[in-house]
Amino acid sequence: MPQPVENAMLTDLGKRLVSGSLSDESLMRATENTPNLALVPWANVVKIGGQSIMDRGRAGLMPVVQEIVANLPRHKMILGTGAGTRARHIYSLAIDLGLPVGVLTVLGTAVAWQNAQMLQYLLASHGIAFLEPEGFASVPHYLMERGAVICQGMPPYKLWEQNPDIGRIPPQRTDTGCFLIAEVFGARKMIFVKDEDGLYSADPKKHPHAEFIPRISVQALLQRDLDDLIVERAVLQIMLNARHIREIQFVNGLKPGQLTAALDGEPVGTIIYNAETGARA
Amino acid sequence: MTGAEHVVSKLMRESLIDRRVIAGTEAPVRRILPQLNVIQIGGQSIMDRGRHAVLPLLDEILANQAEHTQVIGVGPGVRARHILSVGLDLGLPTGALATLAAKSAAQNAYMVSCLLAAHGFVYLEAPFIVQLLPAMLAAARGAVFNGVPPYDLWEHPPALGKIPPHGSDAGSYLVGEVFGARSVILIKDVDGLYTADPKHHPDAGFIPEISAADLLALRLPTLPVEPVILDLLIRSRLVTSVRIINGLGPGNLTKALAGDPVGTLIHR
Repeated sequence: MPQPVENAMLTDLGKRLVSGSLSDESLMRATENTPNLALVPWANVVKIGGQSIMDRGRAGLMPVVQEIVANLPRHKMILGTGAGTRARHIYSLAIDLGLPVGVLTVLGTAVAWQNAQMLQYLLASHGIAFLEPEGFASVPHYLMERGAVICQGMPPYKLWEQNPDIGRIPPQRTDTGCFLIAEVFGARKMIFVKDEDGLYSADPKKHPHAEFIPRISVQALLQRDLDDLIVERAVLQIMLNARHIREIQFVNGLKPGQLTAALDGEPVGTIIYNAETGARA
Repeated sequence: MTGAEHVVSKLMRESLIDRRVIAGTEAPVRRILPQLNVIQIGGQSIMDRGRHAVLPLLDEILANQAEHTQVIGVGPGVRARHILSVGLDLGLPTGALATLAAKSAAQNAYMVSCLLAAHGFVYLEAPFIVQLLPAMLAAARGAVFNGVPPYDLWEHPPALGKIPPHGSDAGSYLVGEVFGARSVILIKDVDGLYTADPKHHPDAGFIPEISAADLLALRLPTLPVEPVILDLLIRSRLVTSVRIINGLGPGNLTKALAGDPVGTLIHR
């Protein structure tokens, strides 16, 4: 075979990449030592919970919307939505019908999409747009022009979602999708707005005496091996490998001012941080 | 404060993160397209070699078309390696690299679809795989798709380095798994798995069949498939194996489609 690429054009790493195997660990390690460009470092990703906020309707959602509007002049926000109770219904039904995980992801995405549309109607008078994953190249423009943009939180994996270790629920849902948006854009903050003050040692809705955890490393949290969590497990796993996002924050959207405090950098709610201080820190 | 309004279901009010809730969702999965065979054509291993490698393979696909329903995934090859190199040098994140590299596979898939067009094959982008694949298979003789999964900006940063971990092997496998395909066949330029890279170690031993867990335990320095596919196989429900065959050897695909032991079978 002729040389696939004229070598003089390539970096040393590039020469190894065009001829080497992408399963070679030493080559993968070599790609570690490249710059980490933060694409939109002034953007904040804010995820609005599905069951926790959207499903509450006016009482739960409108104060959050008002708080978002109040922050528009000061903080740029990518607003992602969760799915919620309709996703739980269609997951139950689809599992009963024997449909695979990838199909459940397609179905669940539609619910997060509905919630994103509703949020967009509420923010329409402020000129806030909704973007599909295919339109994400326009995210920086909308952020600069209008201060915020809305997307549905599910990653666009569709039929390509992977099976979970146990059970049949898609393991990578709207927490994961929003986290990955923050990571790829090198965002300033990743804030999850839910209906609890943060992370507890057990679900506080079922265990009123559960211990509140205001700050914990992702490593320590994984070690505690809790049966229930405030965030999808996939987020914790991906966080270990993330280049940009060093911490994620969880605030109670039912308590006015918590989102604003988090956007302002205050330690409200719970912060889960990456304790690793190696080459990626 | 009023609470959330719930739709009644078994999962109502539940945490989908709670292990006991998740374990309770275990149930059988139906095969949506059980007659389907997913054929993955390697980018660097086959496509980049041009007509002498590609055309005989496409002829063999067509020769099997009367008997076997085939959808063809195609990998990206050297153009992806090039843009990964430039993108890494610029400091782009993994999600951006994944979006860029996927286009190289789309180009290859489009070329394959042109070469098979006269025989009723169509090129389907990911949204059309979701919506139209069954209809296209009923109306047309087959379909060609971009092997790289549509993870785009949402690709995972890998544990080591920055190269997108889910390439065309993973994407083609996942298409097979979600439709409950009869087989997933990965076409490369080596006969299958060896105890070492046969291009550099001519005395390497051949592995005709191995489990994903055993293969991970061998910790081979390189593999002819994406390492992530081993994790996918361990979690598989419907397609519990993939077969690696040499697309440069005439008859290998036909044997693999017939279920004969050719190449290497990696199973759950």
